[in-house]
Amino acid sequence: MAADCEHKAKISGKHIDLTYGKRRIVETLDLDVPEGRFTALIGPNGSGKSTILRAYAGLMKPSSGSILLDGRDLTDLSTGEVARKVGVLLQGPVAPEGLTVGDLVQQGRYPHRSLFSRWSAADQQACDEALTLTGTMDISDRLLDSLSGGQRQRAWIAMTLAQQGEVLLLDEPTTYLDLEHQIELMNLIKTLVDKHGKTVVAVLHDINQAARYATHIVMLKDGNVIAAGRPDNVISAKTVADVFKVKTLVIRDPVAGTPLCVPL
Amino acid sequence: MIRLLIALSLSLALLVLASLAFGDVSLTWMELYHSLGSTDQQSSMIVHDLRLPRVLLALLVGVALATAGTVTLAIMRNPLAEPGVLGINSGAAVTVMAVIVLVRDPPVALLQAAGFCGAAAMALAVFTLAGRGGTSSLRIILIGIGLSSLATAGTTFLSAFGEIGNVQRAMIWLAGSVYDASMVKVRLLALWLIVPLTLAFSSARELDLIRFGDSTAKSLGQPADRIRGLMIVLVTVLSGAAVAVSGLIGFVGLVAPHIARRLVGASHARILPVAALVGACLVVAADLLGRIILPPIQLPAGIVTGLVGAPFFAYLLWGRRHGR
Repeated sequence: MAADCEHKAKISGKHIDLTYGKRRIVETLDLDVPEGRFTALIGPNGSGKSTILRAYAGLMKPSSGSILLDGRDLTDLSTGEVARKVGVLLQGPVAPEGLTVGDLVQQGRYPHRSLFSRWSAADQQACDEALTLTGTMDISDRLLDSLSGGQRQRAWIAMTLAQQGEVLLLDEPTTYLDLEHQIELMNLIKTLVDKHGKTVVAVLHDINQAARYATHIVMLKDGNVIAAGRPDNVISAKTVADVFKVKTLVIRDPVAGTPLCVPL
Repeated sequence: MIRLLIALSLSLALLVLASLAFGDVSLTWMELYHSLGSTDQQSSMIVHDLRLPRVLLALLVGVALATAGTVTLAIMRNPLAEPGVLGINSGAAVTVMAVIVLVRDPPVALLQAAGFCGAAAMALAVFTLAGRGGTSSLRIILIGIGLSSLATAGTTFLSAFGEIGNVQRAMIWLAGSVYDASMVKVRLLALWLIVPLTLAFSSARELDLIRFGDSTAKSLGQPADRIRGLMIVLVTVLSGAAVAVSGLIGFVGLVAPHIARRLVGASHARILPVAALVGACLVVAADLLGRIILPPIQLPAGIVTGLVGAPFFAYLLWGRRHGR
């Protein structure tokens, strides 16, 4: 866990238990999210990735242990305070009918507006920036129902960007996207981290994508952290076999120089 | 938007004037004009004492039902959710029915209190039964439908065993009628409605967000459970008050918000006022039609909204199936 000593933890879980009803998904987990980096959570289905993301977004209270955001316990913060700092995009979000992309992105400003405050220039600027960054500016008048899966996904990401939190949590953001848009999204995340200083945590399914773009990888199995750190240190034939039960050959990506898993 | 609001207000004004003029004794526009100014002729008595309270009551009921429907639609995230479907209206109906049948000459305030209690009891029952996982809207709707039948059974029971004269009055009221209007009722209803309407109209932004469902709403910092609770109380007050004075006027709570959404899109800051005006127009028009289609029979407004609303609802579903 001490692989990133040079980066202080933006969010850190201390001995947390996460349960749905009686089912315990995660037990005494310690997991730090380094500030200003792109963290990828990888692991097989049911390893607790999405649950951890929900908990780190403040949507689910740990049954024991605590989650610290900038050193403060999430439960001590109001939902509004959390929402101003942490934007989250869960899997398969549903929007009401008849909404345009612009309408959706405007919702991202909710935590910044008080009960009677009017739509401000800052609100508009945040939305315009989010639309521009995600390349959805020219479809901002289109109805969400009329968009392709990829466009819709980008619209939702634009909404979380309009929130202007320092932290962005994304649950399988590339799922509905074709290759071109997957790469575009990964580059967008890189830009957000490198140029805008955001802390991003994404649940990813594709190990190679994670290795290529993320700077910090957390490998999970049955709610436990098996390995965490730089891609080079985390991804090996042994850990992949251990976590995913797949035999692979790990070679060097000829383009990026990051680890590349080739199933045997 | 402004043009639409003006158009709707004009239609409402026309409907109100027509309601004042037409009826058993129809007045010409000139007579109507004169009778509004003076108080001594017979026509003036008809307009001031009979038709004016009636049309005002219909208007207020329309606003209340439409607003309650709009709010319910937003918090339940289901196109079929309206206070009627959730059983809130039938809950109010059964208690008001009980008061009408069991109490001799009940005062209006008692009817409204009974309506509110019935609606509140029903809302409470629905949400208690839905349990802590009460955010599943389909579950709530199913429970609402079940409890609603139970309440309807109660109403039928009361009508079967009550004293015949009282039951007859109650049945006309239950069918959704504003025939028994008086300025006292109008004033009381207006008082009941002020607070919940103000709150509903100032919650447009909350309604915009809560429609997304709990996860999204909470991740954007909305205290979704608290907002939903508050909204349910608003809906209960609005429905209870409306049902107490006018019985079960169906479809308005369902149709008005859908029409409003078609007209002005997805933002509640626009939907709420438009739906309220549409609802007022619908109930005033239904009452007017009910009085003039088959004179001297007065069809209760609830029957007319049913006759007009059911095909419209089918049209809505049809449009949904076959694209926009």
